[in-house]
Amino acid sequence: DKNFDEINTNNVDPTSESVDPIFLLNNAIINTSFSNAQLIYDLGVVQQIISPNSGVLTGANYNQDNRDVTDDHWVKYYENVIKNTGDILGQLQAEDAPDRPNLLQMTRLVQALTFMILTDEYGDIPYSEAGKGVSDQIVLPAYDSQEAIYADLINEVKEATAGLSASAPSENGEVLYSGDIAKWKKFGNSLLLRLGMHISEVNPTLAEQTVSDAFEAGLMESNEDNYVIRHDNNFTNNAGSLLNSTEANNFYMVSTFVDFLSSTNDPRLQSLALRFVGATSGPEQTVEAGVKDAEEQVGMPMGYDNGTIGGVASDLGLASFYDFTQVDRFLVAKQTAPMYIITYSQTQLLLAEAATRGWIGGDAETFYNEGVRAHMQLMASYDESVAIMEEEIDTYLTENPFDTANALEQIGNQYWISCFLNGPEAFANFRRTGFPDLDSNPYPAQDISTEFINRLTYPNSEVATNNENLGAAVSRMGADNLDTNVWWDQ
Amino acid sequence: NTSSADTEITLQLKNVSLEKVFQEIESLTSFKVLYNDNQVNYNRKVSVSYVKAPLKGVLTDLFQDTSITFEILDTQIILTRSLPSSIIKDTEAKVQQDISGVVTDTNGMPLPGVSVVEKGTSNGTATDFDGNYSLATQNANAVLVFSSIGFATKEVSVNQSATINVQLVEDSEALDEVVVTALGIKQETRKLGYSVAKVDAEEVNVNRSSNFMNTLQGKVAGVNVSALGTGPGGSSKVRIRGQSSISGTNNPLIVVNGVPIDNTSFGTNIGSSGGSGEPGTSSGGVYSDGGDGFSSINPDDIESMTILKGATGAALYGSRAKDGVIMITTKTRGTGQGIGVNYTLSIANQTPLDFTDYQYEYGQGENGVRPTSANPTSGQWSFGERFQPGMTQILFDGVEVPYEPVYDRIKEFYRNGLDITNSIGLSGNSEKGGFNLSLSNLESKGITPNNEFKRINVGLGASYLLSKNLSFTTNINYSNEENTNPPNVGQQDNTIPVALFNMANSMPLDLLDQKKFDENGNEFVYSRFRNRTNPYFTLSEQFNNIERDRIFGNASLKYNFLPWLFGQVRVGQDYWSRDQEYNGYPTGQASRPPAPEGFVNGTYTQEVRRFRETNVDFLLSADKDFGDDFSLGVNFGGNKMRRQADVYQTNVTDFIIRDLYTVQNGRIKNPNYSFADRSTNSLYGALNLSFKDTYFLSATARNDWFSTLSSENRGILYPSVSASYVFSNALDNMEWLTFGKLRAAYAEVGSDTDVLPYSDALFYNINANLFANSNGQFQPVGAPNTNTLPNPNLRPMRVSETEFGLDLRMFNSRVNLDLSVYRKSTFDQIIPAQISNASGFLSTLINSGENRNQGVEALLTLVPIQNEDIRYDITLNASYNKTKVVSLLTDTPGESIVVGTHAFNGFLYQVVGEEIGQLAGFGYKFDEQGRQIFADDGRPLRSDDIVFFGSALPKWVGGITNSFRYKNFNASFLIDFKLGGKMISGTNFNATRHGLHKMTLEGREGGVIGDGVNQAGQPNTVATPAQTYWEVVRSQQLIEPIVYDSGYWKFRQLNLGYDLTDLVQDSTFFQGLTVSLFANNLFIIKKWVPNIDPDSFGYSSDNVSGLESTGVPTTRSIGLNLNCKF
Repeated sequence: DKNFDEINTNNVDPTSESVDPIFLLNNAIINTSFSNAQLIYDLGVVQQIISPNSGVLTGANYNQDNRDVTDDHWVKYYENVIKNTGDILGQLQAEDAPDRPNLLQMTRLVQALTFMILTDEYGDIPYSEAGKGVSDQIVLPAYDSQEAIYADLINEVKEATAGLSASAPSENGEVLYSGDIAKWKKFGNSLLLRLGMHISEVNPTLAEQTVSDAFEAGLMESNEDNYVIRHDNNFTNNAGSLLNSTEANNFYMVSTFVDFLSSTNDPRLQSLALRFVGATSGPEQTVEAGVKDAEEQVGMPMGYDNGTIGGVASDLGLASFYDFTQVDRFLVAKQTAPMYIITYSQTQLLLAEAATRGWIGGDAETFYNEGVRAHMQLMASYDESVAIMEEEIDTYLTENPFDTANALEQIGNQYWISCFLNGPEAFANFRRTGFPDLDSNPYPAQDISTEFINRLTYPNSEVATNNENLGAAVSRMGADNLDTNVWWDQ
Repeated sequence: NTSSADTEITLQLKNVSLEKVFQEIESLTSFKVLYNDNQVNYNRKVSVSYVKAPLKGVLTDLFQDTSITFEILDTQIILTRSLPSSIIKDTEAKVQQDISGVVTDTNGMPLPGVSVVEKGTSNGTATDFDGNYSLATQNANAVLVFSSIGFATKEVSVNQSATINVQLVEDSEALDEVVVTALGIKQETRKLGYSVAKVDAEEVNVNRSSNFMNTLQGKVAGVNVSALGTGPGGSSKVRIRGQSSISGTNNPLIVVNGVPIDNTSFGTNIGSSGGSGEPGTSSGGVYSDGGDGFSSINPDDIESMTILKGATGAALYGSRAKDGVIMITTKTRGTGQGIGVNYTLSIANQTPLDFTDYQYEYGQGENGVRPTSANPTSGQWSFGERFQPGMTQILFDGVEVPYEPVYDRIKEFYRNGLDITNSIGLSGNSEKGGFNLSLSNLESKGITPNNEFKRINVGLGASYLLSKNLSFTTNINYSNEENTNPPNVGQQDNTIPVALFNMANSMPLDLLDQKKFDENGNEFVYSRFRNRTNPYFTLSEQFNNIERDRIFGNASLKYNFLPWLFGQVRVGQDYWSRDQEYNGYPTGQASRPPAPEGFVNGTYTQEVRRFRETNVDFLLSADKDFGDDFSLGVNFGGNKMRRQADVYQTNVTDFIIRDLYTVQNGRIKNPNYSFADRSTNSLYGALNLSFKDTYFLSATARNDWFSTLSSENRGILYPSVSASYVFSNALDNMEWLTFGKLRAAYAEVGSDTDVLPYSDALFYNINANLFANSNGQFQPVGAPNTNTLPNPNLRPMRVSETEFGLDLRMFNSRVNLDLSVYRKSTFDQIIPAQISNASGFLSTLINSGENRNQGVEALLTLVPIQNEDIRYDITLNASYNKTKVVSLLTDTPGESIVVGTHAFNGFLYQVVGEEIGQLAGFGYKFDEQGRQIFADDGRPLRSDDIVFFGSALPKWVGGITNSFRYKNFNASFLIDFKLGGKMISGTNFNATRHGLHKMTLEGREGGVIGDGVNQAGQPNTVATPAQTYWEVVRSQQLIEPIVYDSGYWKFRQLNLGYDLTDLVQDSTFFQGLTVSLFANNLFIIKKWVPNIDPDSFGYSSDNVSGLESTGVPTTRSIGLNLNCKF
């Protein structure tokens, strides 16, 4: 058996010795793009996109707990992001003196972003022990309280951002900012800002401190700085794939959202929406039949299923429910559409709120206007044909001026629009601020006893494998249902 | 020390047959009694009572006053009838002739000690240790009779030849049945201390199936065979004495002519927690069963099969034999002199069986509304309106058709299958050797209208005596298998069975066929459930072609050093290459996103797999008698196994030119190559002792070294010991007892079969496509290539098994019972345990866990009627096996791991303290008083925690065969059963949520009011629409309503045969002609699950046992076999 070691050597697949960990970071970054739980839950809770249909599409449309879907963020993030970031951190920290400090800090930031979204969606989650399957052989990680997670994330992001250094070896092979340390720092601080704002209600002191630290350290300064996944034909946008395949005819823009945009003559409606006027079936929803004019758009009201929606459509004079407005899945929600995770626009709007609260210096109105403008400018990135002209933006801002008296609501409403197709952040901000001021979903058969869904439920796989740790989380946080509030949303 | 006529014996027998006396003499001495049945009335009853009397005197007494004379020649007692003197005078004139030759077994091995007697005379001799004999005949036209224990007696006419070489065939009917045991050593079953089952070739080549193992369902005690419902080229799942290892692979080892061959299953195993090492076909939209190692074997080549059930029998085969061994011996030589030709034709018609018992009161639609405008989307829902005469529905682009039930979807969609096998065998036999050449062609038309399986087999077996002591044997088998469009099964999407079984009950199938394409040639969207691809679109557009060439065989040289010592060297190889191409998602399938502009969508995969296993072994074997009572056998050998497999695969997505499915034409190309290499070295030895032919003891030891494990954990030594006692030898006064034996055995086996090569480290995969960074420069993307955490410290898993057995043959073998009890512990198991995915991985390989299989298996054979013309046999086999999980990581009761997840909803768990294979999922919610709780809107609520529904594995498996023979006519039928298991039925899951299941009829008008309380504890009074009520099986994963008992009783086989040899014997052309009619799977006597045949679908992996998902309907086959010998 002298040759047994040789026989048992894999000469085909690369090992951690031969794979540059930056390849894993690239994988992690691409996979921070949102899963489709955002279409079935997050964007439905905030009344931007819903499906009237049941089955696997059951979710925020009925306020029901569909565990085939609630686990989607969890599965995609832990299995595709945390798995890789945990592996990189294990490799880099195993070395006594990491010779790639920038790679280490970048990885920490991407991981922190992911954990923030996860804890915002579920509450208590595996955090300090997560992603350590390879490095520490932890197979059943304990859940940490959201409070502890937030405290640690704030430190983590501060440290990692501070640790980024233009003088250390560069990491040009990463796909987010091509190794641009300045941009990474701006992302890190913008993430810190977001973390701070999320705890504005539960711990205003820490929130204010964090927000002001982030502001001082330097935030995103233009759409160039956005954290965006530039999907292409090989690495497609999840929402784009779903909305152009099996569920092409099943998701519609909600009347709440359409009506709000249309009531303010928001040019973004025309960019985002598409209605197949007169369509009586899925196959009739062809590119040729699509109409983009804002005045033609009709949003689907909340609270109906495929048994009752037909009547609503005919009452509204529509041919069928296929005649309601969809997100333009040929341009805005196409498979190659970019997915925005943190934008300059959102950052500016958060600053507007922080300024209004008096947490930072600067002019709330300026931040507000810049936030709205930046989002409108972003339309061009979906397609030239849906770009919004500067004069249209000016007109909109003139017609809908910043109102200091109603600043928080106005900022919240704009943040809501700015987070279109960014379900997790829209959902988080709605829970935190209560804006926009939505009516609860009137669907008759609901699983919730609260007005709105407050969190997503844990995966069945966790109930099956990690029930003891899950039980500890539940006893701390509250029942594993859609009602329970997360820590920062008490 | 030689026996002589002066040998003294002690005999006390009362009123027994002469034959019994002979048997006693043979067992007490080393004499053999030889006689011609026609001359000696061996049934004559006699009583004898001798104490230390000379043998010669005993014989004289026995034949006093008869015409029988005896002669003692060496160790033979030859009985002849004294002929009247006139005849003697006649024959005296005849010429004497010197005859010589060699006697061999079917493998060409010389047989020593064979008695050769000139028929009708006392003239005889015996072969020497090289099988040679010479004899001077006394009469012209003499006939020589060759006989030896364990072999069928053979008569050969002398004619003119001076040399007569004879091959003796093992006699399967003999009391002292001889079986091939480990290492190819032949043993009389009377000596064995463990349980073996011998399967006659007819068991697999009369009631035929394209995978011959499927015909053994219900026939062998302790062997659970399941056909998987995946089309004619599909796998057969065989479990011997239950599932030993907690993880997925518990396949027995297949050994052909002494050398192991590969049994990789390409079955579907969706939801298995991995680690089973079964490649399956589960990418690019294809989830079909691509067959296993059995499917390339031609049943006509099989001469005999032995199943070694326990670890003891298998211990010498080592690690891979932990789940038993199926030993197949193929033909190597003709049986007669010269050239013989054997032709077999088998034809079977397969009729699809429909077990659906759906509701046909309410038709297509949702929420109580039927489709009334163009492009309806309900296609897969039957929650519409109540059928009323004269109603219509509007389907597709506006076609108006009657709104009425469409029955018999299964019969209408599927076709009748047809299997045709043509086999021709050519065999020869001569002085120095012989050969058997066989050619066989199977064409099997599956019931799925585009599914076909074709197989060509060529088998060549030959043996040759190179010199006096050196012989050579070889077997080479070639097969070519073409499996066209094995159907997709085992998942929700992209399968014909799921789409068809859930089609709305008023959907006219002819219209569905007619409207499968839209105006662009894409699939016409007929349902909002786009994943349920129109089955006619799938038939027309999807393809999956598999072709496998396989060649396996071995060559061995055997040298007899001494009469009692031989050495053997053998080289065997199993090589196959397998090409597969498939378009899992054809262009235009409605479930797929469109391709970028300028391309069309779809996927295509092309792959080539190669596999090679070589085994080189040597064996030194000695067998010697010491004195009258004592014999000793010693075997020592070693084996070197090397197994290498690789895969080249290219997946492409989207195409430039429509309908050109090639990798070059793909837009995104994703090539992959992988390679696996493993080796095991072994040394082993065995010791066999026998005393007075009554007490037998045997012991083995084997040491394996595995390349897959680290150097510290690589080697493992394991022993076995077995003993048997033929107590009937001591109970001579119990006349009814023909034969009785007690046996006991203990064995250990170590194994690395659940460890894949390179499991010790984490490897990575670099994505075939680069991703552009913010500057537009393309960068590599990578990730670990597995979801299973590696474990560098794995040790071999261990099996230990204890078994006791009783073998009784009574009333002249008219009542026979073979009983075994066993306890088998499997520990240090290598299990892919599902872990929290928050770790980043889905499973980890643990080296822990024990489970215990305990069971009883019994084979009862009754011969109620037996005379010259009529024979009636009843064979009853039954086995009870219960496997309990003793420990996982710890032995804390209730500790559990998930090993598999249902393609629909539900899990398969292993739980400490429970039976193996626990089905689990969410159930109904009950309050403390046991009342069911409903939500405020009336929907049933699901339990807070996962509920266990019981083990998926059957506890009772068996069958009853009744067979009759009247002269040349024979008939038999088999009833089989599997009882005591549970299943989560995916078919019923879908039938429930789609409104086809009869239980969804309640509350169609006015809603369902569940019997129970609301969350406040008040009686539930809220009505919920039926569709909403039953949707919970999907949206809440509340699967309790679709958990069933998976047991059944089936009328499995019937066959009628007639031996026409007598009718054709006059012609010189035919030497034999038999015809038989057979039928398989005639009807189900009893089952507990509605809408499906309980064995209609199974996964080949044990990790997903009992998680039923709609498979290809089972079939009833009716066929004809014709066998001619020339």
